[in-house]
Amino acid sequence: MSPETPAASAATAGDEPLVRTVELTKHFGLGGLFSRQVLHAVDDFDLTIAEREIVALVGESGSGKSTVARLLARLYTPTKGEIFYRGRSLRSLRSRKDMLWYRGEVPIVLQDPFSAFHPVFRISHGIMRNLALHRPDLSREERRAEAERVCEAVGLSPRMLSRFSYEMSGGERQRIGFAQALAVKPKLILADEPVSMLDVSIRAGVLNMMAGLRDREGVSLLYITHDLASARYVADRIVVMYAGHQVESGPTETVLSDPKHPYTQLLLSAVADPREKSSELSADTGEPPRVVNPSEGCRFRSRCPFAIEKCGQVTPRLEPIGEALVACHVAAAQGKAAGSSDTAPVTHT
Amino acid sequence: MTEPLLDVRNLSVDYLTEAGDVHVLSDVSFTVAQREFVGIVGESGCGKSTLLFAVAQLLTPPGELVGGEVVFHGRDMVGLTGAELRHLRWRDYSMVMQSAMNALNPMKSIAAQFKDTLEAHGTSSHDEIRQRSTEVLELVGIDPVHLGSYPHQLSGGMRQRAMIAMALLLTPQLVIMDEPTSALDVVAQQSLMTKIRELQQRLGFAVLFVTHDMSVVSRYSDRVMVMYAGQIAESAPTETIFERPLHPYTRGLMNAFPSISGPRREMAGIPGAPPDLARPPSGCRFHPRCPAVMDICPEQEPDLYVRDGAEVRCLLYADSAQPAVERETPAQEARP
Repeated sequence: MSPETPAASAATAGDEPLVRTVELTKHFGLGGLFSRQVLHAVDDFDLTIAEREIVALVGESGSGKSTVARLLARLYTPTKGEIFYRGRSLRSLRSRKDMLWYRGEVPIVLQDPFSAFHPVFRISHGIMRNLALHRPDLSREERRAEAERVCEAVGLSPRMLSRFSYEMSGGERQRIGFAQALAVKPKLILADEPVSMLDVSIRAGVLNMMAGLRDREGVSLLYITHDLASARYVADRIVVMYAGHQVESGPTETVLSDPKHPYTQLLLSAVADPREKSSELSADTGEPPRVVNPSEGCRFRSRCPFAIEKCGQVTPRLEPIGEALVACHVAAAQGKAAGSSDTAPVTHT
Repeated sequence: MTEPLLDVRNLSVDYLTEAGDVHVLSDVSFTVAQREFVGIVGESGCGKSTLLFAVAQLLTPPGELVGGEVVFHGRDMVGLTGAELRHLRWRDYSMVMQSAMNALNPMKSIAAQFKDTLEAHGTSSHDEIRQRSTEVLELVGIDPVHLGSYPHQLSGGMRQRAMIAMALLLTPQLVIMDEPTSALDVVAQQSLMTKIRELQQRLGFAVLFVTHDMSVVSRYSDRVMVMYAGQIAESAPTETIFERPLHPYTRGLMNAFPSISGPRREMAGIPGAPPDLARPPSGCRFHPRCPAVMDICPEQEPDLYVRDGAEVRCLLYADSAQPAVERETPAQEARP
């Protein structure tokens, strides 16, 4: 475990967030052996997650949000860039012991609760195995008690432990997914679209449970979703992704009540609230891009109603506007013109 | 009052399984008027897709239509032969499937698939086919150069649009859609729904539309039917149902998804899970999950009652209203 970067030696300094990524990048090669096509799934992605914080990562399918989760879970290795966990670079994790430790700190809950469990084993199997692997100091009785505790923490009866996955509903299975993650005493749970496959009437319960985990168990959550409304419901902070780039981030209410990036504005306008009278509809056809061998420039420019010449030449960097970070030339210029005051930069009607 | 375009009466569908018959639909009755946009919402497994398949006469085993009528244009479609149905399909009504993007033949160009449909219904002139195909593609907002494209060359949203174009080829009066946008992203979904609604109003066809997404229904449909466990729980004009939901299940649904604006409220959701239709609960099928459950609910099966312009299947409204639909075979459902 030799420190490879200056930050790693800083260890867990007081101001170091739980997770910090620096220019995190993941590219996938496409086609055959000699193909030069490269899919840019995630480019230069900077993300921080504090302790006991719920961060929502929002974007369309193909925007790279699941890739970010998999990078953080070490299921992928980054093409470029660093992930620091408590100030320690993940590149320094090499031994099996280190990996086991990290996976215990940062488990992932997957999207599809219907295929995530082995049908031959009882529900207790996954939880008990996690406990045996990650917390070997517990005795058999303690493991059993802990399994029952995490079951109750996610709002299920301990009797569920002796069931098989096919005997459970989708909502119950997704809760078990969280119980398995909780069993390892995590600091951060990566939840990749945990409610998108659940029925509407069940979603609310799982979302409430997630918020409760932060309050009671003190974990942080990275909540990956395409649903802005549910992101608003649970998250402290929202990060919006488009085509592998972070386009906007900030406190949830700031981003949603006063979106600065045109893409965030488009996303918001597409969400209908049944309890409100319908708002104006945009004419965007909503074709998400496929980022193969991209050229320099803003990736949203072809759909952007405010695009200027500069957007096709220079990739916008994240810049602070008010409380938010925004990667947009137009919004940045207007933000400066307004003297970084609270006037709305990009007017969108 | 003019005759409705589609009149579904006491439709019942069973799935015949080894473990016994599962009553997927029980006595479903509703109408769709000319030029009406009807949205059906419900959770997975409530029978909403089965309902569309039964209406379109596309049920395949183990699904079996065991009772009821589907009167379309004054003609009962149940029992029509394959040849008779083929004549009606695409011309009088068409259907857009859930994963419509995968319903296109990957080996044929868009133009060839349109040509097949038109030729099957008697259009043989090359020019006419070309012209009509171009027209419908333009209707849904696809550049006609894509007539020569194969499905894999189009994005998901475009394939979905191409399917809708195909459904409009012969200007049917009813288009049946099974979650046409559920595989799309929010922005694409909104744009496609807006297109469908605009075409529907301009061309004047009726839409029977299934979804699990309340926000889609609220924005685009004239009337909403909420289904629960193979029955209609509530049916009302869109505004009425969103302003004054009557059925406890509908109310639960309204409180089950977070809002994008306004104050953040605690969501309750609905406890429990949808019932197994092989063993539906006795009495009212929602009573095990119902927050307003009464002593009588497990014993008496509620009818659809008319109340303030809505039809609602809940015993809370039994006293003050008349049953909306006369049941023909009440005894049939009492069997265990």
